[in-house]
Amino acid sequence: MKANKHLLLWSSLAALAVLLWAAVDENFLRDWRVIQWGIQARLPSSQADAFTIQLRQIVSREVGATDRCVSCHVGMAPGESGIEGDRLFGRHRDVVHDPASYGCTVCHGGQGRATDTADAHGTVPHWPEPMLPKEYLFAGCGGCHTHLSVPNLTQLEKGRARFEQADCLACHKLDGRGGTLRPGGAGGQEGPDLSRVGAYGFKANWYEHHMEQKKKAASGPWVSAFGELSESERREIDEYLRSRVGAPGLSEAKALFHTLGCRGCHKVRGVGGDDGPDLTAVGNRDPGQLSFAQVQGERTLANWFKQHFRSPAAVVQGSAMPELGLTERQVDQLTFYVLSLRRRNYPEALWPKDRIRAERFGMREFATDGATLYGTFCAACHGAGGEGMRYPGFAAFPAIGNLDFLRLVSDDFLREQIKRGRPGRRMPAWGQQEGGLRDEEISRLVAYVRDLGGAAYEGDPKPRRWVEGDVVAGERLYVKACAACHGDRGEGREGPALNNRVLLDLATDTYLFKTIQNGRTGTSMVAFGAGSTVRGALTDAEISSIVAFLRTWEGKK
Amino acid sequence: MTTDAKPTQTARSRLEPEAMPRRDFLGLAAWWSAAAALLFGFLGAMRLPKAAVLPSPSKKFKVTLPASVATGQPYVPAGRSVAIYKDGANVYAISTVCTHLGCIVKATDSGFDCPCHGSKFAKDGSVLKGPAPKGLPWVELKHLGGDIFLVDEGKAVAAGTTVIA
Amino acid sequence: MNNVVEKRNAGEESAVGRFVENLKAAPHRFTETMFRSGRPHSDRTRSTFVFGNVFLHLHSVRTHRWSLRWSATWGLGIAAFSCFFVLVATGVLLMFYYKPYPDVAYLSIKDIHFVVPTGRFIRNIHRWSGNMMVVIVLLHMARVFYTAAYRPPREFNWVTGMGLLAVTLGLSFTGYLLPWDQLAYWAITIGANIAQSPREVTDALGMTQWFDVGGLQKLILLGSEEVGEEALIRFYLFHVMILPLALVALIAVHFWRIRKDGGLARPVDADTRLGPPSGEVYPVFTEAPQKTYSLAAIVKGRTAVVGRGPEQTIPSMPHLLFGEAAVFMLTIALSVILAIFLDAPLKEVANPAVPENPAKAPWYFLGLQELVSHSAFMGGIGIPMIVLIGLGLIPYLDRETEGTGIWFGGPGGRPLVVGSAIFGLAAVVAVEAFVIRFGWIRQWWPNTPQLVVTLVNPGTLLTFLYAVYSVWCLRKYDSTRAGALALFTCFVCGFVVLTVIGSYFRGPNWDFYWSPSQWPGH
Repeated sequence: MKANKHLLLWSSLAALAVLLWAAVDENFLRDWRVIQWGIQARLPSSQADAFTIQLRQIVSREVGATDRCVSCHVGMAPGESGIEGDRLFGRHRDVVHDPASYGCTVCHGGQGRATDTADAHGTVPHWPEPMLPKEYLFAGCGGCHTHLSVPNLTQLEKGRARFEQADCLACHKLDGRGGTLRPGGAGGQEGPDLSRVGAYGFKANWYEHHMEQKKKAASGPWVSAFGELSESERREIDEYLRSRVGAPGLSEAKALFHTLGCRGCHKVRGVGGDDGPDLTAVGNRDPGQLSFAQVQGERTLANWFKQHFRSPAAVVQGSAMPELGLTERQVDQLTFYVLSLRRRNYPEALWPKDRIRAERFGMREFATDGATLYGTFCAACHGAGGEGMRYPGFAAFPAIGNLDFLRLVSDDFLREQIKRGRPGRRMPAWGQQEGGLRDEEISRLVAYVRDLGGAAYEGDPKPRRWVEGDVVAGERLYVKACAACHGDRGEGREGPALNNRVLLDLATDTYLFKTIQNGRTGTSMVAFGAGSTVRGALTDAEISSIVAFLRTWEGKK
Repeated sequence: MTTDAKPTQTARSRLEPEAMPRRDFLGLAAWWSAAAALLFGFLGAMRLPKAAVLPSPSKKFKVTLPASVATGQPYVPAGRSVAIYKDGANVYAISTVCTHLGCIVKATDSGFDCPCHGSKFAKDGSVLKGPAPKGLPWVELKHLGGDIFLVDEGKAVAAGTTVIA
Repeated sequence: MNNVVEKRNAGEESAVGRFVENLKAAPHRFTETMFRSGRPHSDRTRSTFVFGNVFLHLHSVRTHRWSLRWSATWGLGIAAFSCFFVLVATGVLLMFYYKPYPDVAYLSIKDIHFVVPTGRFIRNIHRWSGNMMVVIVLLHMARVFYTAAYRPPREFNWVTGMGLLAVTLGLSFTGYLLPWDQLAYWAITIGANIAQSPREVTDALGMTQWFDVGGLQKLILLGSEEVGEEALIRFYLFHVMILPLALVALIAVHFWRIRKDGGLARPVDADTRLGPPSGEVYPVFTEAPQKTYSLAAIVKGRTAVVGRGPEQTIPSMPHLLFGEAAVFMLTIALSVILAIFLDAPLKEVANPAVPENPAKAPWYFLGLQELVSHSAFMGGIGIPMIVLIGLGLIPYLDRETEGTGIWFGGPGGRPLVVGSAIFGLAAVVAVEAFVIRFGWIRQWWPNTPQLVVTLVNPGTLLTFLYAVYSVWCLRKYDSTRAGALALFTCFVCGFVVLTVIGSYFRGPNWDFYWSPSQWPGH
């Protein structure tokens, strides 16, 4: 009984001690309390008295946010001022999407319900969506602005260069730069901030308006900083301004994605190839579900992407994505863009214009000129200039800008080829698959490809099929001369597959004959019609036999 | 066997109260500490039902005042309990939550009628009749430009406060 | 009128005066009426204190000294009850904030963790004492078995105890889903598919379309094909209403039967074993040995012992109460200590599209999951049913009397238990090692019929080995108790080893790993 009394006494005291400790922990040691006390201590005494130590939150029924971030970042809570001028504990910068109505996590990510620092920032196990790193902050826009429209990167860069060249930054602010009055420009005036001009729109006649002002002015910036612009220069500036939607860097990053040909293999929101994974929500991926076995450094999504872009196969075993040989800046931009691929499901009433335009009116989120289309869908494999790509560990991709090629193919050939693809090979049928290209887009692409080589179709007076040859002899010759690159049954090795249904259907006999005879300059395909030191020339009859042999594959698999 | 060892007298005495109850410090300390632990735990647990944060969304909202709203005509934004009035260039907002028991009052030509217990309010929100203890509060309104106003249902202002559109 | 005058004349107080007096005395009288017996300063008042109190009167007034020894029970029954008490208290509190709807449930747990005052601590307590209760109930069952306390007249209480075990596991299992995180979702998916596993047999016999008991079980459990909102509301209903009520009812029966079965089991010679009583023990029933219980005359069967000489009993108040209170507070202390140091797990929100790999059932089912990895039916239903039925039948099959109330009592005793433990461990480790190293029938002959795989698998093999061994022990000692000791010990070893393997040595795709650090992708 004495032992029981002792046990009762000591267990009760232990329980009491733990309960006391829990009370202390609850009332004095919670992160948000400690931080709020710190803020209170830094406030001027008049404000400190009015400052209450309590949990704060922003609830937005519409976007479904319950964000308690403002329990620590008190100044960003509606109606509070926090510590004036402090980046973390002062007011939120003025933004279009007022945190009071949208909450915080909508843009920044992280765990809105949490009130402990690490949990709230989402850098804990089992929280799939950590906060976006500061350098990729604007990737958060992608959660709602899924279809921000981007121009061609080259044009975008040109427009930016023109914008800076024309000294627009003298009076206008853009992404935090510029807007300073020129020295000696007293009486000049500051132009509006253009950081979001793409979202709000601007007057088409801005140039005329500026010119009028310039005429009126006698001195100051109007005279010194503003000069005449040609129509093409104005178009470039217009294009650039349209891409200024308040997310610095995002348009450039997205434009890069649409220059490197990523959609040739990857679908984003239903448009693109099927070779690679769908990237629509890749920015939402849970770092906890990714393998970091081969990734050095921190276990963040951004770091994973970066290392993956540098060397895909090193991060994902057996990846079918080639090493693209990107610069560090490109790696950075692509990381930025893929982080912005973070779809959230909001009621349609909250959709931004870009999404409505794309999903309701079928508008593309990228420019649809030939160059951008080529950059979006083709460049990764066929090369930025149509030179064909040769990635370590992959068969060479055809050089479609090749003069010998372009001379032999009509626009119809190109168009049909793009539409029908090469079944069984990596070239998708862009006109047939879901998420492929529209007819007018394909036409623009054909024109662009034609321009790449700059060679016109030389025409073909002969009928599509005119070759007659000895199939047996053709097979013998094929095995000797062609099989090494094109495979024993034409299945393709280093060279393209020749037993391909679409190829054999589209290619005229002239096309096959002349390609064998003249080869393709600058590629591994030599001119078999001309001899060399190691091999005699093929006669026309022999070439015909080979063509006849190739034709035996037609209709077969 | 123990009967022999213990005289019946002792046994009988156990049925009567002990003349001087023994002081059992250990036992008492044990009971009291257990009671203290349970009580403290109970008190701590009783803090749980009082929520630290309320799940209600912000009472601030933006509203676009339609141009068709005539002077003296109430405009009640959908899903909100505020009536906005235009009086020439002056705009003001009056809460439509009855100060009696929280029913939503109905704006009429003469003012506001509460459907629950018959309170009647004048156009400026003051009580005309019924059990309402005080008038309908005017709430804060800010002009954001154009026809857009920012209303804060949660913030009462002095009656008669208007903003100029 | 006259009366009033009389009273006044008699110098008595006026009604107002009496009213004031009464008002003053009210608090004192309130206490007096609440505790009628007064302070427990004598054995008599102590007795009335116990039987005059609704909460205490379940105890007998005096308790045998044997039952008060720690080694008799280790306080496990009271500990399990204390856990239940803590669970009810904390569970009711959690219900203030919990919302049983998919995704919203998860968010409400997040709220409980982050903003509800004391919410995090209370959820932790709930989680850990829930786990403690499962452990303690299992230990309690082992204690009762090893002290042969299931013997007459306590057979039925053993069966009640089995029911309590089942309900406890059910409570823990249903509670597992409520946070609606990945851990919960996939554990319950596994659990529900175990419930569906009889389909394996009905499929093999080709009779599923007429008789799909597995599908029915799953359907009743989940209310749907998958774990979804229907399953959540059902689990919630089971967890907060049906099962707690069932548990309370069973606890009431269980406790009441302890009284009616004559207190805790003790050896017939307990008095001698205990030696002479200390000074605190006083004779009972000696003062009026002629006293009879008139009620006994109308009751059939044996009657309460009346008039027998002094027993080794001591007043329950305060001796037993101190023991119980000590165990109660010890349990609370343990659960709050666990709760302050360890947060209850909460993973990502449940996502039916992304399975956990490995998806593991709650830990107490991981032994089953290990068996299920060989055959869903035998592991999930067959063997557990055999074990449960076997356990339930123990008191009816072992009718011996030797060793009741003594640890490892009965023929064979401690050496038999040690031997069985060695055999049990060796057998389960050997079978598991063989399977992990060499695989099983399917790997060797992929076309083996399902029925063969169901019947011949490591789980059934192990059960068979244990059965053979215990029959051997039964014959060797010529005692049913010896057979029971051997079988029970073997199954305990099997359960523990399989649970440990399932918990710590199984990784993605249920492959064997020495440690989680070797798991691929980490």
